[in-house]
Amino acid sequence: MQALLNGLIAGFLIALPAIALSLTYGVLNFANFSIGALITAGAYFAYFYNVDLGLHVLVSVALAGVSLSILAIVIERLVYRPLGDADHITLLVGSMGVAFVLENVIRLIYGADVRTLDITVSRPIIWNDLRLNNEQLVIVAVAVAAFVAVALVLKKTSLGRAMRATSDNPSLAEARGVNRRRIINWTWALSGTLAALAGALVAMDATVEPLIGTNYLISVFAATIVGGIGNPLGAMAGGLLIGIVEELSTLAFPTTYRQGVSFLILVAMLFLRPHGILGQAKIKR
Amino acid sequence: MTAYLVSILTFVVLSAVLALALNIQWGQAGMINFGLAGFFSIGAYVAAILAVSGVDPVSSTLAAIVSTAALSAIVSLASVRLREDYLAISTLGFAEAVRLVLLNESWLTGGPNGIREIPRPFAGVLDPSSYEVAFLGASVLIFAAVYVLLERIIRSPFGRALRTVREDEVVAATLGKNVLALRVKAFAIGGAVAGLAGALHAFYLSYIDPTQFASFVTVYAFMAVVVGGRGSNRGLLIGASTVMVLLEGTRFLKELLPFMNAQQSAALRLLLVGVALILLLIFRPGGIAREYRLTAPARDDAPATAAKT
Repeated sequence: MQALLNGLIAGFLIALPAIALSLTYGVLNFANFSIGALITAGAYFAYFYNVDLGLHVLVSVALAGVSLSILAIVIERLVYRPLGDADHITLLVGSMGVAFVLENVIRLIYGADVRTLDITVSRPIIWNDLRLNNEQLVIVAVAVAAFVAVALVLKKTSLGRAMRATSDNPSLAEARGVNRRRIINWTWALSGTLAALAGALVAMDATVEPLIGTNYLISVFAATIVGGIGNPLGAMAGGLLIGIVEELSTLAFPTTYRQGVSFLILVAMLFLRPHGILGQAKIKR
Repeated sequence: MTAYLVSILTFVVLSAVLALALNIQWGQAGMINFGLAGFFSIGAYVAAILAVSGVDPVSSTLAAIVSTAALSAIVSLASVRLREDYLAISTLGFAEAVRLVLLNESWLTGGPNGIREIPRPFAGVLDPSSYEVAFLGASVLIFAAVYVLLERIIRSPFGRALRTVREDEVVAATLGKNVLALRVKAFAIGGAVAGLAGALHAFYLSYIDPTQFASFVTVYAFMAVVVGGRGSNRGLLIGASTVMVLLEGTRFLKELLPFMNAQQSAALRLLLVGVALILLLIFRPGGIAREYRLTAPARDDAPATAAKT
């Protein structure tokens, strides 16, 4: 049971960036390989506000979200928009370049040391032999709030409708008066926020180091594909599923192979149901 | 100084071999391999493990080539039916899985310590003082052989079919080409070359550990291919040299910015490589050399025939 609970919480952390990845895939039509570096950047933003500026940890998490959404828009402006006319393969390579640059900017500023946020350690809540600490409660609360917010934005607002329309058929959406630039900016802002929240929450629960995001990369992609790529709400379910399976797998395999388990799930999905468990079979090359 | 130059040149040639591998996968077949470092490391480890246990270097290298080719075929099979993004994802995942195995299966790979004292091939027959130069010469010959072989493949009907698949697979399928088989073969050929590069790397350094096969290896190879011109093998040597010049040339930054520690200046150099890659993609996506194309001699009567019909 404890493993199940831990898996669920790990799943929330995977689900946040998985939604971000799915959003950018749907709207912009390319797989953003810099998502791992964005998670790391989020963690370091949280570290900056919390430790360097001495702000409260929850304020720091929120500010990390805002900062990374701005950074994501800046990156879009500097890299992806100039690449805009290129094919999506070039965009993929470009996003790998972005990841490489971000990671090394972080190393340049903070080095490779393992750091921790400034958090007062509290006693875990124990209920029926299940342990849950404060940070994990915050993770669940923030993640659930973020899911509800994303779902509401996508389903209820005109922005969300425009995003879904662009995702389905960009030229048709544009012909119907959807402002593509605005949608792209919002998509990046939203996925930047989600990635930052994930990074900041990981930082809260564990440590801050230059490879946190990279360590999540495969799980995040696996979650996105399980949920059906381009389907943000499916990505949420995929994230939870991957989190639980990874955690349960540690009962049978060494913990160091968690990402390996995700990779196996990913390959199995690509063979059997590349459109995801929830998605429809409309995936084409 | 000569020793430094020889070792730099050897690294350039080895990275050019790796770039050749990427260029047939990405350049010719349009298949993205973000896990190139993983295949490269498998080549190195297979060759190293066999050589340490007493197998002769040539057979070890062949085993490295065969195993990376086979693994490449298997990995590409999972996603060749889908859009390019999926291959990029699964190769990246593959590289990560390989890295985990290298780090954790210490009984086989030495874990984080890697493998040391890999016997240098033909060290007995060669004079130790000129060994480095001989290795460089051998690497150049191997590069040339791979280059010629790949050029032949590229110019063969197989190569043309491959580019057709890259540009439009429906057209290729309509012309009766087996798209799936073409893709898997192209990826396996690239994998074989990556394995060869890995084996050479292991023999050259004579010790390997997982840090040598981090993602920057993949980034360098992409950089070399982008500089040299996607699809063009001719530009690759220049591409690989440019990357090396960028890496080595930025060493002076350390003197220029003395307040930085070694880690920071290393990060700054990698950062510059990343920025250069992005700038190239934006401003010179075609690189410096053009891809090989069949050109027909101009026909004198062409306008006349056109006018008649």
